[in-house]
Amino acid sequence: MSLFSTLSVSASGMAAQRTRAELLTENLANAETTRTPEGGPYRRKDVVFQSQGDSSPFSSVLESAMNGTPGGVTVSDIITDQRDPERHYDPGHPDAGPDGFVAMPRINPAEEMVNLMGASRGYQANVASMSAVKDMIQRSIDLLR
Amino acid sequence: MPVGLNLDSGTSITNSLERYMDLVDARQKLVTSNIANADTPGYKTRDLDFKSQFQNLLDGGQPQAIEVSGLKTNNDGNNVNLDREAQLLSENALRFNVASQLMHGQISMLKLAIDGGQGG
Repeated sequence: MSLFSTLSVSASGMAAQRTRAELLTENLANAETTRTPEGGPYRRKDVVFQSQGDSSPFSSVLESAMNGTPGGVTVSDIITDQRDPERHYDPGHPDAGPDGFVAMPRINPAEEMVNLMGASRGYQANVASMSAVKDMIQRSIDLLR
Repeated sequence: MPVGLNLDSGTSITNSLERYMDLVDARQKLVTSNIANADTPGYKTRDLDFKSQFQNLLDGGQPQAIEVSGLKTNNDGNNVNLDREAQLLSENALRFNVASQLMHGQISMLKLAIDGGQGG
């Protein structure tokens, strides 16, 4: 095992949280979008996190050495909200139906902002652990001086 | 020959320090894993028992990780406590610092012996 493979665990956490933040900002940006390539209003997207084995080439050795310890995290799936769109009464809207209702995305900006804060804090925690490991590597190198 | 400078012996200080740093490294990896998986549904916090695993490493074994019990589990089945992990992160960094400084001392003594006590 090496300290360098620990760095890749932090990196996987940072990548996963960044993907989550990207989707959350996409949701916020499209909170009022009524037209999408797939047709219909925009549907909210979210990530599914899954713990993964070590991504280093020495994973099998490490796996046995560490008793099958999971390594980093990966985005295993991106789910699209399947709930029905919200119906707003707005007869003047170009996408309004004959009854005057418009199908709008079912997105709660407060919920997205709270999740965004969670993603941001998660990212920071991973950065903190990465710099702690980096310091340990630096200490090991300093032994040679 | 001074005991502390016996680099070949399995019982020397440098050997123990090396095992200690290996163990801190293994624990840091677990803590980093826990932090990376802080939002993974169903993930359980993993750690190792420092005392018993240090003895295990000194006896030539490999570190064994265990699931931590007694932590509050969220609705999604995840029981990572970020405060606990942050504390372990700094504790590990301090442990590693102490070990690397002691190791540095051992190596300096060896250098001194090589230089015939002339310093520099």
